[in-house]
Amino acid sequence: MSDYKINNNIRKLRFFRDEMTQAGLAKAVGVTRQTIISLEKGKYSPSLELAFKIAQVFEVELNEVFSYDLAEEANN
Amino acid sequence: MTSQQKNVTVTLVSFSALLFIFITRVARLVRTDNFNESSVIRLWVFVVVFAIVVTVIGIILTYIASAVYQAATTGEDEIEFDDIVDERDQLIDLKGTKTTYTISSIGSFLAIMAFALGQSALVMITLLLFFGLIGQIAGDANRLRLYQLG
Repeated sequence: MSDYKINNNIRKLRFFRDEMTQAGLAKAVGVTRQTIISLEKGKYSPSLELAFKIAQVFEVELNEVFSYDLAEEANN
Repeated sequence: MTSQQKNVTVTLVSFSALLFIFITRVARLVRTDNFNESSVIRLWVFVVVFAIVVTVIGIILTYIASAVYQAATTGEDEIEFDDIVDERDQLIDLKGTKTTYTISSIGSFLAIMAFALGQSALVMITLLLFFGLIGQIAGDANRLRLYQLG
């Protein structure tokens, strides 16, 4: 779980959603709050299903929530 | 701490206690020259029953304690348990199980080797049980470590 190349804007999207809580988002997508915390810290990469669910909650495209860090890949 | 983390902690504590009891009992059997079939089988049964009963009771008590604590701190009558098992929990559980299987497999190999090299079947059985317990503890410790890492 220490390897991560996927970045996300969940924190920012929560802010623009009337400061939606981590618990609120967790409940909406059916995971624990700890999983949302791990996601925001970039310590855990979600499954494709969870990624789509999160994008659906924020009503945005998947690539607006998650992005693949090519620079990090180039460094490796 | 999620309910999964609490359950893993309870299992880790109960299996650590079980390992301690197991080692002291085996040491006593060897010291008193009672390391025979009936006493080793009795120990087997004790370990299995203890592992099941204590773990189940421990998890139930943890739920009750969590409910009492939550009710006391929030003042709510209806307690809402956060007992969701999500994909991250499953991934962590899988990694813990991998650790358990790896150590148990190595232990099984060593136990069979001991038997092949002339030790009695009772020694082999005792070693199997010992490494089974070690494997479970290592798996739970790894699960908690992964939860701590985030």
